[in-house]
Amino acid sequence: MMPTTRRRVLQYGLTGCLMGLGSTSLGATMSSGVTDSEIVLGMSAAFSGPSRGLGIELFRGASAYFEHVNRNGGVRGRKVVLKIYDDGYQPDPAVKNTLTLMLEDEVFALFGYVGTPTVTRVLPMLKKFQERQIYLFFPFTGAQPQREPPYGAFAFNLRASYRQETAGLVQNFVDIGRRRIAVFYQADAYGRSGWAGVRQALRHYGEQIVGEATYRRGSKFTGVMREQVEILKASRPDAVICIGAYAACAAFLRDAVDLGLQVPIANVSFVGSENLLNLINQGRDDGVRYTAHLVNSQVVPSYHDTSIPAVKQYQELMALYAPSAPQELLTESYTPFSHSFVSLEGFLDAKMMVEILKRLGDRPEKGALEDAVFSITEYDLGIGEAVSFGPERRQGLQKVYYTVVDEDRFVPLYNWQNRFA
Amino acid sequence: MKIPKLFRKTLFGVFFLFGVIGVSTSLLCIYTVDTHLSKEYEANSKGIAKTIADASVNILLNSNLTALQSLIDQFVEIQGVSYIYITSETGEILAHTFVPGIPEEIRAGDATSTTTVERSLPGKGDFIEVGSPILAGVAGAVHIGMDTGLIALKIQRAIGQQIYLICMIFVVGVFAAIWFVNYAAKPVDGVLTFAVELAREQSADGGTSSKLLARNDEAGDLARLFLHFSQVTDVQGTRPQSGSDRGKE
Repeated sequence: MMPTTRRRVLQYGLTGCLMGLGSTSLGATMSSGVTDSEIVLGMSAAFSGPSRGLGIELFRGASAYFEHVNRNGGVRGRKVVLKIYDDGYQPDPAVKNTLTLMLEDEVFALFGYVGTPTVTRVLPMLKKFQERQIYLFFPFTGAQPQREPPYGAFAFNLRASYRQETAGLVQNFVDIGRRRIAVFYQADAYGRSGWAGVRQALRHYGEQIVGEATYRRGSKFTGVMREQVEILKASRPDAVICIGAYAACAAFLRDAVDLGLQVPIANVSFVGSENLLNLINQGRDDGVRYTAHLVNSQVVPSYHDTSIPAVKQYQELMALYAPSAPQELLTESYTPFSHSFVSLEGFLDAKMMVEILKRLGDRPEKGALEDAVFSITEYDLGIGEAVSFGPERRQGLQKVYYTVVDEDRFVPLYNWQNRFA
Repeated sequence: MKIPKLFRKTLFGVFFLFGVIGVSTSLLCIYTVDTHLSKEYEANSKGIAKTIADASVNILLNSNLTALQSLIDQFVEIQGVSYIYITSETGEILAHTFVPGIPEEIRAGDATSTTTVERSLPGKGDFIEVGSPILAGVAGAVHIGMDTGLIALKIQRAIGQQIYLICMIFVVGVFAAIWFVNYAAKPVDGVLTFAVELAREQSADGGTSSKLLARNDEAGDLARLFLHFSQVTDVQGTRPQSGSDRGKE
């Protein structure tokens, strides 16, 4: 069992505190989670266990932007405070953390949760306590439950869905003649979400999943995935789409190459691309042998492309504030990446959140959150894709990007034919 | 410890009886525990399957397979539940808990059937699989595999405890039986010693003889009878008098 319910309150700089003290007290009652000096958001994510890299990087990216905002006057005079808990990417701790955040900490909103199995278990609680008007903003998962009834009304998503990611992967594979697609997935709600996406996309082309293999959530890179590889090899796939976390997917990639499964192996954005690459290259000189067939879909653009304004800002703020991992929640050492797709996503999530908080005016009310979100139409987040929300559109971004490994880093993939035909 | 010859057969009889009781109660226990647990497991798993089937209707009709998987993931944590899979009305497996993959035996089986079957999955063990239709079967079916290994383990535990108890009773019983046999044989030993002494024309130990002759049971009767025969023999003069007897006169 992962360690749980350890927490810390992050205070972004003295500037914000002093500024908050100087702000005018309105005297009247305010929504819980809001004071004259701060707005408190609650986050439960994986900061321990084999998937800790996802929670840590998402947190670091968001921290960089919140820090920047707080040091520059905050949101209408209030600094943004992030109260964080570790759930180890396990549903039960995530549920407990959410209860604490809602009932004890009384945060203004939930932000940046990590994972499908965790979020799908948290959503019913948001409905149960709907009179408290707690919304979940920008969870790091592309699953459908927080995008559809009956729980879609309690969440707002920024990233593209797994359905969109898998549909894009399938389309590109089919376009280059790779129609026999197998799926390797995590045996839980996340894996099923991706599996369902692949299944639906293949149906569009009159195909079906030719083989499937699963692994248990929490599997480590040191684990063996040979059985899974053998199962998929027997189905003679043209490509494999993986719906998993980086440790297990790296282990699968390693064993697949070692056992001669020489087909493109794709991962969706949740995998944590840099962590996966890091594991594959660990203690190896021949990492390229393992990454030659790798293709990962992403929901944010390349963090190397500084021609994109938000990416430029991300790089600058990450360098300026160098956000650290929450040391008090770490149970194992972790070396952060200077840049990563996950931290860029966290950064964009925070940027979007700040814009929403700004639109709430001088007296932020939970009841006004939905209208504030729906007021965002064709908003320029700085990545070249306009963001829009509405009652029937609870997902801001739609675009999916594809990346491959060249010279030990993920770069955009533009020509599938040349790479995988 | 010396067992009197007279009671050896009785003692063996007691041991034999213990053995019969031990074996028969163990067999009865195996049968009872096996039957009850199997029925209980089957009833429980049918209950779980029905619960999932009822809860799955809306989820399935909305094609929300993520929520469906999340639902069965919670139920598979129940002790004894080894696997769960949900099939569509056409038999396609829509959600399951198998790792590293769906066993061939499951794929080959009739996924639309909801009758209880016993399955043996290589490398996984033996299971009782129950099913429950979703929306009278038109939306699919829920299948739950209960680990019979767990039932076997519970039976072994119950039998082990029973055998332990019987062994303890047996050991205590053996010592108690020997003590009782010896206790019961003590007057007979006294009669035997008394008779031998009379035959040897020795004067028996006064205290012991008088206690024996005073007994109001079969041993006392027998001692008095031996003494009577001895005195009759002496009167008829058929037995030569010993020195001690002469001295007494």
